[in-house]
Amino acid sequence: MNAWHTAFVQLPLLLHGLLRTIEFSLVAAVVSVILGLIAALCKLSRFGVLRGISTVYVEIFRGTPLLVQIFYMVFALPSIMPLNAWFGQDLYPIIGVSAALALNEGAYVTEIVRAGILGVDRGQREAAESLGMTGYQTMRHIILPQAFKRMIPPLVNQFAQTIKDTSLVAPVGVVDLMYQGQITVAQTYAAFSIYTVVAALYFIVIFAVSRLANYLERRLQIDQR
Amino acid sequence: MISVEDLHKQFGDHQVLRGITTRVQPQEVVVVIGPSGGGKSTFLRCLNGLERPTSGRIVVVGQEITNPKTNIVNVRKQVGMVFQRFNLFHHLTALDNITIGPRQVLRMPADEAESLARSLLAKVGLSGKENSYPDQLSGGQQQRVAIARALAMRPQVMLFDEPTSALDPEMVGEVLQVMKDLAREGMTMVIVTHEMGFAREVADRVLFMDDGCIVEEGQPDALFAHPQEERTRVFLSKVL
Ligand SMILES: Nc1ncnc2c1ncn2[C@@H]1O[C@H](COP(=O)(O)OP(=O)(O)O)[C@@H](O)[C@H]1O
Ligand SMILES: [Mg+2]
Repeated sequence: MNAWHTAFVQLPLLLHGLLRTIEFSLVAAVVSVILGLIAALCKLSRFGVLRGISTVYVEIFRGTPLLVQIFYMVFALPSIMPLNAWFGQDLYPIIGVSAALALNEGAYVTEIVRAGILGVDRGQREAAESLGMTGYQTMRHIILPQAFKRMIPPLVNQFAQTIKDTSLVAPVGVVDLMYQGQITVAQTYAAFSIYTVVAALYFIVIFAVSRLANYLERRLQIDQR
Repeated sequence: MISVEDLHKQFGDHQVLRGITTRVQPQEVVVVIGPSGGGKSTFLRCLNGLERPTSGRIVVVGQEITNPKTNIVNVRKQVGMVFQRFNLFHHLTALDNITIGPRQVLRMPADEAESLARSLLAKVGLSGKENSYPDQLSGGQQQRVAIARALAMRPQVMLFDEPTSALDPEMVGEVLQVMKDLAREGMTMVIVTHEMGFAREVADRVLFMDDGCIVEEGQPDALFAHPQEERTRVFLSKVL
């Protein structure tokens, strides 16, 4: 049978894998933004302990390979605590890889959020404080809304990176686009055509996301003029 | 209204204020002049706690801000500040710039804050600009919104740090006019400015600051016409 025809027949399976890839990416993106926001606020806090915790978190997750973090979550942690029993044999690996992805992306998002907050003109904070606003009110109503606007393009770029990173869940046997590719190749031996389709599917999604980031960046620059 | 005793401020080992003592009476308009780098901004920023003094005692509207137990927020609520570079909140409309203080800090209901903001915009001559964002306004208009924003807190004192220095010359007049109106209404004000004509017209008292000290102070006519100190004479000969 023609190899391209094989790839075409396998397309529904691959698309199913793509859907899982997108799900992992979205979960990681949402959780990592929450983590990154908390860690960035800690990093800018006047309390040394919070700054310390946040720095250790960022350095550890940026200083080790994501694949190692995924193996650590899925194999190392369950060997010292009954995570598989708590979450179920089938569910825990999915939770584990999601946690590893979110924590890893969160470390990068922390730096994006921090830069966004520091990029807001100091006069904005002073004006808010001189009205009698508290530190919390200033952050919530004045700094973060302006910081968030600057953060959107780099966050969308980071999302493109996250989509690529999710392919590292395949080695631990969690289903995503890459994993579906490996399985289909093992069954059909059509390595060239199937991996070409896999690469093409990744490319379409990631390309669309990075174009979006570029577009948002250009619009922001126009706004700021 | 404001009492400052032997105020010192240093940044690292750089002495910026070296013993400032003065008082501001209710309804008094005090204008601070002097060469740049002389500590005028730092002095003003100490009055609402944006800078923390190294030593000395400051009492503003009955509250000693140099006492660590004083809640600085309670002081700032009653002290309006206007900055050289306006510092309007870029993500908020003119109206929201004005309402955010009363709403967040004074917990004023939205409709009340809004009608207050509209009346203040009218007062500074900007009716119709409610929904404009700062970037859509000229410098003079932005500074007038900034004054309205400070007034919305119904402050006891207004501090102005070179409010017209960042403006094109043709916009200086409209901002000074708003400040003159405030002075006439009896607002207590401390104003750092290089506008000597304005100082002469509205000031009850002029302070000449140089090198972290009040070198000379007095009524505007006397100080401008007959400066007692050499440094004041030199400065005035350059700016007048
Ligand atoms: N945050 C700061 N850190 C260090 N030095 C400062 C700071 N703010 C002001 N200074 C210094 O204090 C001196 C007085 O500044 P400033 O009060 O702005 O004077 P003025 O408003 O009269 O021009 C200047 O030499 C300035 O460099
Ligand atoms: Mg200054």
